[in-house]
Amino acid sequence: MTISASQHRTRNPLERRYALLGVLLIAPTVLILCAVIVYPLISAIYLSLFSIYTPTLKGSWVGLGNYAQVFGSSGFWGALGTTVTWTVGTLFLQIVFGVAMALLLNQNILFRSLARSLVLFPYFVSTVVAVLIWRWLFNDLYGILSHLLIQFGVVDMPVDWLGKMPNAMASVIFVGAWKFFPFVVIAVLARLQTIPEQLYEAATIDGAGVFGRFFDVTLPQLKEVLTIVILLRTIWDFKEFDLIYLLTGGGPVNNTRTLPLIVYQQAFGLNQMGIAATYAVAMMLVMLAFMLIYLYRARRQAP
Amino acid sequence: MMPARRSTTMLANLVTWGLVLLISFPLIWMVVTSVRPQTELFQIPPTVIPRAITFEHYIKLLQETPFLRYFMNSMILATSTTIVVIVVGTLGAYSLVRFSYRGRETLAALVLFTYLLPSVVLIIPLYLMMVKLGLANTLTSLVIAYTTFALPYALWLLRSFMAGVPEDLESAALVDGASRIGAFIDVILPQALPGIISTALFTFILAWNEYLYALVMVNSDQARPLTTGVMNMLITSFNIEWSLLMAASVMMSIPLIIIFAFLQSYLTRGFGAGGVKG
Amino acid sequence: MVTVTFDKVRKAFGEAVAIPSLDLAIASGEFVSLLGPSGCGKTTTLRMLAGLEQPTAGEIMIGERTVNNLAPSERDIAMVFQSYALYPHMSVRENIAYPLRKRGVPKADRPAMVQAAADLLQLGPLLDRKPRQLSGGQQQRVALGRALVREPKVFLLDEPLSNLDAKLRAHMRAELIELHRRLGKTMVYVTHDQLEAMTMSTRIAVMQGGELQQFATPAEIYHRPANTFVAGFIGTPSMTLADGEITMDQGRPVLKLGTLSLELPADHLSERPEGTRRVTVAVRPEDILVGTGSFRANVRLVEPTGHESIVLVNAGDVGFTVRVAGDTVLKAGETIPLDLRRERIHVFDRESGRRLNADLAAATADPVRSRA
Repeated sequence: MTISASQHRTRNPLERRYALLGVLLIAPTVLILCAVIVYPLISAIYLSLFSIYTPTLKGSWVGLGNYAQVFGSSGFWGALGTTVTWTVGTLFLQIVFGVAMALLLNQNILFRSLARSLVLFPYFVSTVVAVLIWRWLFNDLYGILSHLLIQFGVVDMPVDWLGKMPNAMASVIFVGAWKFFPFVVIAVLARLQTIPEQLYEAATIDGAGVFGRFFDVTLPQLKEVLTIVILLRTIWDFKEFDLIYLLTGGGPVNNTRTLPLIVYQQAFGLNQMGIAATYAVAMMLVMLAFMLIYLYRARRQAP
Repeated sequence: MMPARRSTTMLANLVTWGLVLLISFPLIWMVVTSVRPQTELFQIPPTVIPRAITFEHYIKLLQETPFLRYFMNSMILATSTTIVVIVVGTLGAYSLVRFSYRGRETLAALVLFTYLLPSVVLIIPLYLMMVKLGLANTLTSLVIAYTTFALPYALWLLRSFMAGVPEDLESAALVDGASRIGAFIDVILPQALPGIISTALFTFILAWNEYLYALVMVNSDQARPLTTGVMNMLITSFNIEWSLLMAASVMMSIPLIIIFAFLQSYLTRGFGAGGVKG
Repeated sequence: MVTVTFDKVRKAFGEAVAIPSLDLAIASGEFVSLLGPSGCGKTTTLRMLAGLEQPTAGEIMIGERTVNNLAPSERDIAMVFQSYALYPHMSVRENIAYPLRKRGVPKADRPAMVQAAADLLQLGPLLDRKPRQLSGGQQQRVALGRALVREPKVFLLDEPLSNLDAKLRAHMRAELIELHRRLGKTMVYVTHDQLEAMTMSTRIAVMQGGELQQFATPAEIYHRPANTFVAGFIGTPSMTLADGEITMDQGRPVLKLGTLSLELPADHLSERPEGTRRVTVAVRPEDILVGTGSFRANVRLVEPTGHESIVLVNAGDVGFTVRVAGDTVLKAGETIPLDLRRERIHVFDRESGRRLNADLAAATADPVRSRA
């Protein structure tokens, strides 16, 4: 990355003066980004070639040995599978709930802005708070959820929501959907409000019913925003750490241990910093495809 | 026609509000639990409406736990992160939007890239860096770590807000006798102010809610923010007091509630500009 | 005395060349319009003069000073933008005072100057409002006020009237002419509206594709267009443009337009054609006479506008646009006699589009004219 004030030799002094000022203004950003992102990123790749014991930070060169070990282990592939399950599951729910809720909130309902605020809240609340609440709701002795289910006769024993499979994965996916679906709501809602009313009127005149209007007018108009939302949420769900770590810690028996959790576990649980870096880099490589697609799309429709 | 329409509206109202209440139920339950006497908590079956309201858990939280210290730490942490990020990001975004120099496009792409980067990739080198600098276990280390996600995020938001200020306004100021910096201060800054405020709010929330870096970098109550602090209260307690934890959760969400109550328009503005428009 | 000079000015945006090479010399105190269709480079030219764009090559001078390397603030200019570009967070008073503030005019002197500008434009009662509380016409006045509050060397106006409704536009045209006469300052005015250019300018620079087509007084441009582009661009309705051939017959040029054959005055062309010359001719609607003459024409369409009617007729295989008095009774389908005022026929070289009429020499002269 080179940034310089002189672009063409033909530039006149005024343009050079401006370019210099521009570089000066961006300089703090570049310095900080280099120090806290570029340098750590490169050193993460470098560290992934070492075997390092966390408490002493003493390391020895192992080259690509870590990668051979990671890609050869069932741990990585298992965690990758878990990550994909979690991402696909929670993303699916987020999109379905999100679009449905956006459509409802776009109706002319009473106290609409209050309803919107309430729906938004889970997204902005700290993951720690969200997890505490849900662990209390899931509580095996006094949790309201099991009690309600018992009262309505759905089950006759308190459910072990987080301690066994497939409950744990389902719970994590569900809580994830609850926490993150408002993002979809806002994005879709914003787009819905820009769809011209004439389109619906024209479709109605052409004989389209409620569903016809949704599939022929609304959905095509939402295609663009949904693509971007799905890309972004895929990336963010894929790298989600807090929610899963705090809900299940990866359990039971590593069944909800996604890739970010493995990185943390290796580095600060098993004290294997080198191999943890390897996991992190490997994970980033998997994500890179989505990141590049998003970058491409975002650049294409740059402001 | 009319009655049919009215009943559709009624139905839409009912369905929507039913779902909204269902979605908010966990949050309502948090508040209800936090004001309920300890004895009522362990009733089987539990009741939805508390029979008595008490603030004993809040008092206990403030008097017998390090909650206030955590709260102060979080406040300092989120505020300093926001100030650093907004000052640096505003200048940077102005440069990215209104100047031309080599590498500008690459830089903008890089910012977007870093905005998507997973924290776990950076956390190991950052941890080693902080240890080496002797900053481990300090709030400073967290401010530095938080800029890794907050700065790209803020830059991206601010960039789109700045791009929204009509170029003619800056041109007019230049013709009227202002320098580039003069035009920035007199015209662009006031025009972008709502955007800057909403970016600041988002950055604050992001920093306020962060967990992973705080977990790794800080290991003492002196520098622990709310997220890891409250979680620690859960893990270390022998007998989990859910009312206390729910009270802590409510208290922890207070800045958020304030922002929601008074500054919601800024929130939706930022949401539109940042995530989705690209 | 403030002249404005463009000397071989070139502007390229990356690979795209907006202006290949522009030479333009504006005399002191002139009101010059840069006129052309959108994308012709007129706004780029103005922005280069303002310092908002930098020329790729060439020299721009204001008075005796080369301004290429000067920031807009150092050029001593004032500009009115198409969008008005009023500062939304400042009141009208603050907007108008802003240039004074930035130029270091002592604080004590400012109120009187703002008041003077406001009086000139009848902005007095609006001074404490914010721009968004004003109508389009009022905003436009404030933008003018902000430009007029100082005494800059040159006023630049970028389509200032294009966002106003027709009636207000006519009113503001008159006011701008009045202002120019009163201030006597050099003004450069960008517009795509030929009516504005024709009514207000001392001279018009017609531009197309980044190149200057003609730079002359409105009368010159109208009566002696330098090429086919100017001929087709200026005038409403447009001139009839038709391809034909000129041959010499017994010392007199004869124009052949399809099946029509017209004898032109002996001294009509600047040079005698050798053999047959391929030309494009242009005829103004008012230079076609209906009711007399040697040609038969078929009326295709009559568009009455009240005081006059625009009539489309076919004569031979050429379609002409004709302007007739409003009380002329004509019906579509009718056959009428028709004639052209031969001395008013504009003749251009078909390949280069260059004017061939003998009066060309007069058109290239530099008749600087001042309204004062």
